[in-house]
Amino acid sequence: MDRKKIKFALGSSLIVGTIGYLIATGINSTSTYFFTVSELMDQKVSFHGTGLKVKGNVVAGSIERDPGDYLNVQFAIEEKNRNLNVVYQGVTPDMFQDGGEVVVEGALDEQGVFHANTLLTSCPSKYEAEKEAGGMHPGTLPDYKPKLKPDPRKVDFLPKTTI
Amino acid sequence: MNDIGEFTLMIALATSLYGTVAYVMAARGNRIDLYLSADKVPLITWACIMISSIALWKAFFTNDFSLQYVYAYSNIELDYFYKFSSFWGGQKGSLLFWALILTSYMMVVHIQNRSKNLIVVPYAMAVMLAITCFFLFLLNFSTNPFERIPLPPEDGRGLNPLLQNYWMVIHPPTLYLGYVGFTVPFAFAMAALISKNLDDAWIRLTRKWTVVSWFFLCMGNLFGASWAYVELGWGGYWAWDPVENAAFMPLIVATAYLHSVMIQEKKDMMKVWNMSLILLTFVMTIFGTFITRSGLIQSVHTFDEATLGYYFLGLLFFIIAVCTALIISRLPLLKSKNELDSFLSREAGFLFNNLLLLGIAFATFWGTIFPIISEAIRGVKITVGPPFYNQVNVPIGLALLALIGIGPIIAWRKATWSNLKKNFLKPLMFALIGGAILFPVVPLSNRSEIYTYIAFILCIFVLSSMLIEFYKGTMARYASSETYLGALGSLIWNNKRRYGGYTVHIGVVMIYAGIAASSSYGIHTEKRLKIGETIEIRDYMLRYEKLAAIQATSVKTRIIAQLAVEKDGKKIWTARPEKEFYKGQNQPVSEVDVRSTLASDLYVILADFSEDESATIKVYHNPMVKWLWTGGWIIALGTMVCAWPDRLEQRRRLERLKLQKIVFSPAQE
Repeated sequence: MDRKKIKFALGSSLIVGTIGYLIATGINSTSTYFFTVSELMDQKVSFHGTGLKVKGNVVAGSIERDPGDYLNVQFAIEEKNRNLNVVYQGVTPDMFQDGGEVVVEGALDEQGVFHANTLLTSCPSKYEAEKEAGGMHPGTLPDYKPKLKPDPRKVDFLPKTTI
Repeated sequence: MNDIGEFTLMIALATSLYGTVAYVMAARGNRIDLYLSADKVPLITWACIMISSIALWKAFFTNDFSLQYVYAYSNIELDYFYKFSSFWGGQKGSLLFWALILTSYMMVVHIQNRSKNLIVVPYAMAVMLAITCFFLFLLNFSTNPFERIPLPPEDGRGLNPLLQNYWMVIHPPTLYLGYVGFTVPFAFAMAALISKNLDDAWIRLTRKWTVVSWFFLCMGNLFGASWAYVELGWGGYWAWDPVENAAFMPLIVATAYLHSVMIQEKKDMMKVWNMSLILLTFVMTIFGTFITRSGLIQSVHTFDEATLGYYFLGLLFFIIAVCTALIISRLPLLKSKNELDSFLSREAGFLFNNLLLLGIAFATFWGTIFPIISEAIRGVKITVGPPFYNQVNVPIGLALLALIGIGPIIAWRKATWSNLKKNFLKPLMFALIGGAILFPVVPLSNRSEIYTYIAFILCIFVLSSMLIEFYKGTMARYASSETYLGALGSLIWNNKRRYGGYTVHIGVVMIYAGIAASSSYGIHTEKRLKIGETIEIRDYMLRYEKLAAIQATSVKTRIIAQLAVEKDGKKIWTARPEKEFYKGQNQPVSEVDVRSTLASDLYVILADFSEDESATIKVYHNPMVKWLWTGGWIIALGTMVCAWPDRLEQRRRLERLKLQKIVFSPAQE
């Protein structure tokens, strides 16, 4: 190989090496373990303090909101009959409801309570399976619907345009 | 009509199978009779798939719920607008839509090349038909959109409310047009390899296809981002979700390809590299489809019945194996005649640009599949989120941004000191002055803010180098033109590819600036409010005025909160975020309200409410998000200039060929 080729090979491998280094350190410093509830419970090592992602279904009736601070939420998620208590501070997504599949991201404390800093709900297209399993009947509005009666006089809004 | 639709799908499969074989045999055995017969296949296949598509659309418009697919994605009360777009709302229809676009493209290629380029085109058609066969196979035997329900229900289930947004009609087709478009350059590259016609003919024949597909892919990504921004209500536009990555990776690889082909055209270098890049682009589109259809990777938007993964995985490995073997067997023919001379040259700039782009693509790929790899090797699933992608891609992206500024103004072959001084002094000066002005204004307290500051300086550098290019060109032409505007017009008109490309770069710079500002200066706050209470963010104060319910249609109830927004004591806007409840769907949809200006977006969400009319309001303040969308329109403009038919370009190429003393061959475009 002549000098030019060597020069370019060196230059290119410098770039490739830097990118490789960035990826390697990036993975090390940002990765989080991903478990389902039962997988987490079956781990022999304690994970308290490390970043975790846990997937499970919201236990029916477990959602409690602090009456003083509406944004303070406690609930439990379960999978294969194992439960995990979660506390979360913040706005909950639209699809956060009893039985719904959620992924929480955060860490465990000493008592084994999960402190979530993000709460993700699964894809809305899952409603299909849920309905077939005898969930909500199409045509009924959710219980969640407020008692605010539609009152045309009260409305002085301009209609918002979505084409 | 449903029977016809199902039947034509079958016919399409049969004819495209025949076409694949016939084209190959015609080209190999030099049999004109077979060629003439095979040449009818594209039209027949296209017509058959068109009939199937019309049949499915008709089923949607006539509320024919005996079709399982129509039942699952439509109902009687759905707007016609969304009935039209429900076509690609689910897996089955979107595959049919894919096949429809692919065969339509094939028809255009067929018409463009009718009895021309007889060495390459039959193979290219065969490759495209083979890919069509794959989709038709799935449509016929695995995900038939014409699957019946024995006892048709009265009403359908309706389209997911999240999809009932006008972006639904724009975003998926745009993305598909881009995704599928790369099949054409890929097919021609394969044809070039098979027929051993390895000059740059295949690149020139498909240059427009590449540009247009790239354009659609780019727009598809941007449209997806703005859809997520207005519809999903989390205040952001990009989350590095696997499905987003699936659309992002082909775009990045295609960008690398788009740049490196210029080296092959001008310098007859990097032939293997270009072949590999177009192969990689195509493989990435299939990989992206695999991610969305397999459900293998946890994502927020996978399809309902994600069962097709293994078919796509099979296709993926098949393509990689065949293409790698082809490239290796043709290696001696792909030898470059020239080589790189100096680091300080445009060629080297292109090379480094390619390495950086591939670096971004690889980092994204690695992050996307990391959970699978870690589970296979270590038995635990380890995921990486946005912090990983930002940590890796931001520095690479900044280096790339610097290259956007350097590349177009550095000399070919070898830059001399005087060339460097002449071209770089002014842009660098502007960048330094800009940096000095910004220094006291912008916060620099953490890494992200420092990156943003660097990004701003680089943006100024690139922008000024581009504008100086426009300025210099205009001035040079002003002598022969009446007005400055006329000079600028004729400059662009006579060098469409070059100045169109510069325009695209200006759009990219705007997107960079928008991403940099919004990702590090954005803030948000949330609060439970009673009527009359206020929430504050930056200089804005939002007063919660009232909550109302509207029965919008018989299927939709809207709950709307009204907030008056004040800045410096003056009322500037009324925010009306809402929640919509759809009949048949058990979750509400948040409709955010956004006040968007070039400086910043105020983004208001009605997160929650209760019967006593108190509501949880979440407010985001996102600076410069509008720059992204504006940059997108500038890219669109630039691409249009680039893709405009250009006779001068052909003449210039012939001149160059004469200079290079390459055997004269008639232009084939």
